[in-house]
Amino acid sequence: MMASVGAARPAPALWPLLPALVLVPLLVLLPALVHGGGWELVGRFALGALRPSVDPVVLRSVLEGLAVTAGTALLGWAASLLLGLTLGIASARVVWQTCLGAEWPALLIRRLLAIPRSIHELLWGLLLLQLVGLQPAVAVLAIALPFGALVARVVSDQLDSLPRQNLEALHAAGSPGPSALLTCLGPPLLPRLLSYGGYRLECALRSATLLGVFGLGGLGTELRLTLQSLAFPELWTGLWLLLGTMLLLEAGVSGLRRRWAMPLRFSGAAAPGVGRQGRELLLAALALIPLAVAVAWALQIHPSQLLQWQGLPPLGQPQWQAVAALPWSRLILNTLLLTGMAAALAVGCAPLLLLLLPPWAAAQLALRAFWALGRLWPPPLTALLLLFVLQPGVITGALALGFHNLGILGRLLLEASAAADAGPGQALQLAGCGPRLALLYGRFNSLARPYLAYGAYRTDVILRESVVVGLVGATGLGTQLLEALSGFAWDQLAALLLAYALLTLLGEALSDRLRRRLSQVG
Amino acid sequence: MLPALLLDRVTVPGRDHPRLDQVSLQLAVGERVALIGPSGAGKSSLIAVANGLLSPTAGQVLWQGQPPARHGRLRRRQQGRIGTLWQDLRLVEELTVQQNLNAGRLAEWGWPRALLNLLLPLETGACRELMQRLDLDPALLSQPVAALSGGQRQRVALGRLLRQQPQLLLADEPLASLDPRLAAELLALLLRQGEAPRALLLSLHRPDLLQGFDRVVGLRQGRVTLDRPLPAAGAAALTAELQQLYAGAAR
Repeated sequence: MMASVGAARPAPALWPLLPALVLVPLLVLLPALVHGGGWELVGRFALGALRPSVDPVVLRSVLEGLAVTAGTALLGWAASLLLGLTLGIASARVVWQTCLGAEWPALLIRRLLAIPRSIHELLWGLLLLQLVGLQPAVAVLAIALPFGALVARVVSDQLDSLPRQNLEALHAAGSPGPSALLTCLGPPLLPRLLSYGGYRLECALRSATLLGVFGLGGLGTELRLTLQSLAFPELWTGLWLLLGTMLLLEAGVSGLRRRWAMPLRFSGAAAPGVGRQGRELLLAALALIPLAVAVAWALQIHPSQLLQWQGLPPLGQPQWQAVAALPWSRLILNTLLLTGMAAALAVGCAPLLLLLLPPWAAAQLALRAFWALGRLWPPPLTALLLLFVLQPGVITGALALGFHNLGILGRLLLEASAAADAGPGQALQLAGCGPRLALLYGRFNSLARPYLAYGAYRTDVILRESVVVGLVGATGLGTQLLEALSGFAWDQLAALLLAYALLTLLGEALSDRLRRRLSQVG
Repeated sequence: MLPALLLDRVTVPGRDHPRLDQVSLQLAVGERVALIGPSGAGKSSLIAVANGLLSPTAGQVLWQGQPPARHGRLRRRQQGRIGTLWQDLRLVEELTVQQNLNAGRLAEWGWPRALLNLLLPLETGACRELMQRLDLDPALLSQPVAALSGGQRQRVALGRLLRQQPQLLLADEPLASLDPRLAAELLALLLRQGEAPRALLLSLHRPDLLQGFDRVVGLRQGRVTLDRPLPAAGAAALTAELQQLYAGAAR
C-alpha cells in the first residue's frame, strides 16, 4: 500500500518561484554596494521620463538613429533567416538520411555551427570592426552570423523531431528525396519557423540597439552619448520612440502569429499543425526582398566594402605565459556567478511579480510597461545607470542583465498564461478563492514545466550575453574580453574567445539536458 | 427560511434566441432539483448563472437572499457557499489527490496555508475520511490526479466540492460521460449530499435518472416549460410531459 504521507516535494506551481530565492542574498549584499553618490542623478533620470525633449533637432537625430537601428535589425534578421534556413536544412539528419542514406555530414555541419553560435553578436561586431573598419554592413553581419547559426539549430532540431512515417511512406513509393522532404516536412515546419522568425525579429531590434551602444551606429550610440553627457530629456526622447517601435513590432508579430495560426514560443498547449493563409505568407515573403534592397540602399551598405580589409594593428609576438597567468578560475567563476544570478532573477521574479501584483487593470498595465522597459533598455546602459549608485562588480552586472531578461520572460509568461487552460483556475475562483491564488493553483501548475524549460534556454542565452555588461568592470570573462579587444591583445583575445565559446557550449549542453528532462517528466 | 437560490425573470442573450428567457426558479433549503431538457435548451447557461460565471442582462439572482456582490471579499465569501461539479471536472492535473481535495478549502485558507498545501500533505485525517466516504482508497491521496481513472477522478472532483462545504450544490451534467453503474453511484452520493441544510440543482440529459429528486424543472429554448414536484411514483407519472419537452428536439 502506498503511503499517503510520502516524501513530499513542492508542487509544480512552486518551481518557477524557487529561483526568486536569490533575492534573499542579493538584498543582504546590496546595501554594502551602494555608494550613494548619484541619487540626485537617478532622480533627474526618472524625471526625464516625464519631460522628454521635443526639440526638432533632437527629434530628427533620434529618428535618424532609430531608422538606422531598425534598418540594421531588418537586414540582419533577413540575412540570418536565409542563412539559418539553408544551414538548418543542411544540418538536419533526416535530410541527409533521406537523400544520401548517411547522417554524418549533418553532424559535422552541426558541430561547425556551434562556433559562430557560441559567440555573442557584440563580439562579432567588435571583431569585424577591427578587421574592416566602421561601416553599416558590420552591424548587419554581426547580427546575421550568430542569429543565422541559432536559426539553423532550431530548424534542424525541428526537422529532426518531426514524425517520419509519412516521409518513409512517400520515399518507399519511389518519390525522390527532396520532393518527399518538402511535401512531408515543409507544412509542419512552416508555422513553427514563422513563429520563431517573428521572435528573432524582435531580438534583432534589441541587438541592433545594443550594437549601437558599443559604437556601431544607430539609436544605441545616441542613447549612450546622451546618458554619458547626462542629457536625460534627450535620452528619454530616444527611449520613448524605441519603446513605441518595439511595442508596435511585438503587437504586429503577435497579430500575425494569431492570423497565421502559429504556436507560441512556449506554452502548455500542443502546437497547432499547419499555418493558414499560404498566399498571404508568400506575398509577405516576396515583399521582403524589395524592402530589404531599399533598406540596404538607404543605409548605404555595399557588401563589397566588407572585402576591403584594413591593416590590423601590429600583432607582435604571442605571450602565452602572460595569457596563462590570467586569473582564469576567478574569471570563469565570476562569469558563472553573474549568469546564475541574472537568470535566477529573471526566471524567478516574472512569476513572483505576477502573483504579488494586485489583480487590477492599472497594476497589470504598469507591470507590462515595466517589463517592456526592461526588454528595450540595453543591459550595458542599465549597468551604466546603476553605476550612479552602485559599485561596479558582478552584482551590478547581474541586476542589469536580470532586468533585461525579466522583461523578455515576463512577456512570454503572460502570453503563455493567457493561452493556458482557464478551467481549473476558474473553478477555484467560483468556489470563492481569490484571483491570484487561482492563478497559482490553476495556470502555474500547468505552465511550470514549459516555463522552466524556456528558462533553461534563457540561462544559456544569458551566459552568452554576459559579455555585454563587461563594461561595468569585474564581471569575469566579459570585462577581460572587452579589455583585450580595446588593446587588441590578440593572444589574450584568442584564448578568452576560446574559453567563452567552450563555456557557452558546455552551458548549452547542460540546458538541453535539463529541458529534455523537464519535458519527459511531463 | 431564505431560499438557497432564487432566479427572478433572468435573461441571457444568445445568437439566434436567448440562452435564457425570463427564467424564474426558486430552490428551497434541502430541495434536490433535476434540471432536464434537450441539448441547447439552456441548462448549462442556467447553472452558469446560478454559480456566478454568467451575469444575466436582465432579471435578478439571489444567493441565500443576497444579491451577488460585484467583487472583493464579500463576493468571495458568497462564492465559497456555492459549489459546482463541472462536467469536465476542472481538477488540477499536476497536483496530488490530497492537494486537489484541499483546494476546496482555499476560500477559507489564507496564503500561508495555501502555499503550505503545495509543499506538504495537509489535513490528512479529514482527507482520508472523505476518501472512505467516496469509496476511494486513501492510498491514492499522494498520487497525481493525472494518474487516476475516469471514475476515480469524478469522485475526487466531488470530494473537492465536499471539502468546500457549500450550501448550494450545482452540477452540470455530471453523469454524461459515465457508464450506467458509475452514474447511478455518483447520483446516489450527490442526492445524499443535497439533503438539508444543503440544496442541489443538477442538470441531466436522461429522464430515466430522475428517481430520488424532489422536483423536476424542464427547460426548452431557454424557457421553463415544466416545473413540478416529482411524485413518489417517479418519472413514470410524468411521461406525457417529458415527451412534450423533448418532442421535435434534435437529439
